[in-house]
Amino acid sequence: MNMQHLPRSLSFAACTAALLALASARAAAQDARPIAFTNARLLTMAGEPIEGGTLVVRNGKIEAIGKDAVVPAGARVIDCTDMTIMPGLVSAVSSAGLTQPPSRRTQPTQQRGRRSMPMPMPGGGGGAQDKAATRVVDGIYAKQPVFGDLLRAGVTTLALTPPGSAFPGLGAILNPDGKSLDELTEQAEGFVQIGMSIDAQTKKLLKGNFDAAAKVLEARKKPPEPKPEEKKPEEAKPEAKKEEPKPEEKKGETPPQPQPTPTPDPKPEPKPEPKQDPKPAQPQQPAAQRRPEPPKNPNIEVLADLLEGKRRAMLEISSAAEMLHWQQVFETTPKFQRTLVVQSYNTQQGTIDEVLEQAKSFECAVLLPPTLSTTPRSRMLTHPAKALHDAGIEIGFLLGSNDATVKQTFFRLMELVRTGLPSDVALRGVTLVPAKALGVQERTGSLEVGKDADLLVFHGDPLTPSSELHAVWRRGQKVPEKP
Amino acid sequence: MRMPSIVSFALLATVLLADLPAQRGRRGQRPPQQPEQAAPAPEAKKEESKKPKAYLAVVGADVYLGTGQRMTGATVLVADDKIESVGQNLELPEGTTVIDAKGKIVSPGFICVLGNGMGAPRSAPFADGVNPFDPEIKQGLAAGITAFMAGSPGGGSSPSGSNAVIKLAYGDVKGMVLEENTVVAMNVPLSLADREKLEQAVKQAREYIEAVDNFPKTKAADPNAKEPPMPRGGETMVAILRGEKKLWINLSGGGFNPFGGRRTGAASDLPAIREALEISKLLGQGVVLQKPTSAWLAPDEIAATGSMVVISPRDRLPADPKDPDRTGSNIASTALLAAAGVPVAVTCPGGMFGGTGVGTGGILGQDLNTPHVDAAFAVRGGLDNRKALRTLTLDAARILGVDARIGSLEAGKDADILILDGDPLHYATFVETAIVNGKVVYEKAKEPLFRHISR
Repeated sequence: MNMQHLPRSLSFAACTAALLALASARAAAQDARPIAFTNARLLTMAGEPIEGGTLVVRNGKIEAIGKDAVVPAGARVIDCTDMTIMPGLVSAVSSAGLTQPPSRRTQPTQQRGRRSMPMPMPGGGGGAQDKAATRVVDGIYAKQPVFGDLLRAGVTTLALTPPGSAFPGLGAILNPDGKSLDELTEQAEGFVQIGMSIDAQTKKLLKGNFDAAAKVLEARKKPPEPKPEEKKPEEAKPEAKKEEPKPEEKKGETPPQPQPTPTPDPKPEPKPEPKQDPKPAQPQQPAAQRRPEPPKNPNIEVLADLLEGKRRAMLEISSAAEMLHWQQVFETTPKFQRTLVVQSYNTQQGTIDEVLEQAKSFECAVLLPPTLSTTPRSRMLTHPAKALHDAGIEIGFLLGSNDATVKQTFFRLMELVRTGLPSDVALRGVTLVPAKALGVQERTGSLEVGKDADLLVFHGDPLTPSSELHAVWRRGQKVPEKP
Repeated sequence: MRMPSIVSFALLATVLLADLPAQRGRRGQRPPQQPEQAAPAPEAKKEESKKPKAYLAVVGADVYLGTGQRMTGATVLVADDKIESVGQNLELPEGTTVIDAKGKIVSPGFICVLGNGMGAPRSAPFADGVNPFDPEIKQGLAAGITAFMAGSPGGGSSPSGSNAVIKLAYGDVKGMVLEENTVVAMNVPLSLADREKLEQAVKQAREYIEAVDNFPKTKAADPNAKEPPMPRGGETMVAILRGEKKLWINLSGGGFNPFGGRRTGAASDLPAIREALEISKLLGQGVVLQKPTSAWLAPDEIAATGSMVVISPRDRLPADPKDPDRTGSNIASTALLAAAGVPVAVTCPGGMFGGTGVGTGGILGQDLNTPHVDAAFAVRGGLDNRKALRTLTLDAARILGVDARIGSLEAGKDADILILDGDPLHYATFVETAIVNGKVVYEKAKEPLFRHISR
């Protein structure tokens, strides 16, 4: 995290220089000089690829796209012959910044030979949790290099997933180029994380809390006769409102965010976060709401919002066995906006393609690891992604939580394509589908007029082994190389 | 579904004729049954009106019923998850899925009284922890296992235990737990104090049961009478006396010897067997003796109490050289017990790594999941081949207290059926198809386990 080992004065000078450069870059972006990428192969994700097309970006937005889009006068022209442009990657599931990826890298060097590999615990390792209202972003340290690494690897929109089963909290949507917590946070309450796991406690929590939330929702729908009750819905709404106009608000917010200076070093919050969070976060809300007589359970309120359609959920069901247990908990799964997440293929509990019908009944997209799987205890390969796609389920892919996994993703997608998955499905699976999962598809996820100019510029086709990520553009600005 | 009476009469006749040898073998045991007559007519019709049943028929095989009987060229008709009927020339309802099993052997699924793994969690709550896609399930099915008891039968100085009878219903969470806590177990020998406590508990439980039985009368006489209170901590004993739970008695003194040693010291556990039989007499009902090595010395004593036995025919205990006729194990143990009329269930030997149950984990997993080979050892010891099948089917189900549901191919029971390519207890026999709860859950030709081996 330290800037190398420069002498202080030097680093100070470097900082000021960098700041100046940044300021001028921002000024340059905000001046209305458009940028035109010409002669590019454009993978729009919204239709057929455009060969030799032009993409015009103004004020961080895509202004025009097409084979014969006009290059505006005074535009900065970037010739992209032999290059392919696709939308920036959207990582809808990640624990970047929550866990320390360096630990994995340092482990082998620290102790060679017998090292204990961290065994992934079923259900995310957090165990059954009942803190749906806890925001995962409150427990994160913003100045971690992993975010910048991810951005340079092509991830222009990043989700932060709270770990654990049942209700581990509210996931966030991040701007991976944010330098402070406020800059980093695009939506603090991006989605409700729900995790299935085969244990009695998780099942009990799922059932109990959804039932309670249904009751709260019923109470909300009733005409508000008693006045104390009227107050609560209002209190609940502001939170929800924040989310509905997400895209616009966020855009409005980002510029006037120089304020974040008050957010001092977030050091008090760093690692013990997962455990400490729930307590600080929970008492706050009830304290505000305790004035009316019956105290509300913020965890249930969040679920009620979900059932009401004000929030969306990431529903982690990683194996066929978990799917069947889920269906044992809910004969009919409650209706809410959701995306299924399969964290990894677990052949010991059956892969998701063994329960296609059940997966289909969720009527939502499924995010999968970008790999093939095997039949249990064998090397016979299976292709769950293709099986799901063939069954008519929209599929997306997980990009992992650090730049190394993101870089691997394209090679993995190549294998999936080589084994029968259509390439457009593979690429949509890392852009538009996860963008929909996070509810940011109005802003990013494809190359369409009006959307943010989140672009990846490749030499050659991204799904060929020889291609190379040439540049990442985020909201119309080129992401600088690693300093 | 109703058969023409002529057909059913013919059926009955064939069963009676065809099974003469079987009946000879079963002399002195339960009266012969005509399973195909006991059609569950009323219930079946009710369900029928609700929703059409899915029928599955296994046609043309030699059918071992699990009761000791065998029917040649018979059909097993399954409706949804239950057996509808078994017999020759059955009339199949429209839309029946037919599995041709001519030249094959059909048997009830094997039941292992002690087991682990195979999709079952290690401890309660079982229903919330089963993994219906565990690849071990397929391994178990390949060995013919369709049900086993997971968890601990229990132990200690008073009856206890937390266990469940798990079915290998691949891909079906609900179908996997047949029943929880049908078995409790305790250890012998007991100290005098524990013995005293046990007697006390039995007495209290008896008084309670009597009071409950008389309660309607008492209530009639005195409307203010209160329901008799359950003796504190007495639920288990009451359940045992009511026949709701089977009491197992561990003769090895429980405990786990990590070095896999035999019971050291005595080369005979006859005193422990007798103590267990004393408990049986105290209860006034049979118990289950778990692994009585010296049972071959007292089969009639065991039979007289109505007790049952769990045994491993492969277990060996060297005899005391000073008294070789009255000590050590005996391969004829199972045969002698069966001849005395004691129901026996076979399990595998306790070993250094394998534990005492059938499972697929551990170093010996592949070896231990072959219960039919264990039963074959009993055959080698003189047990009738067909009776030996009972040690894996109906008698095993009785010992687990679930014989109303599984253990034999009879109308109304769960459709847990094996189609085998040879005699059930032959070492070279493979399971070709396994059906659990009426669903085909294993096909040798489709699973990577044994499909490369053909005979």
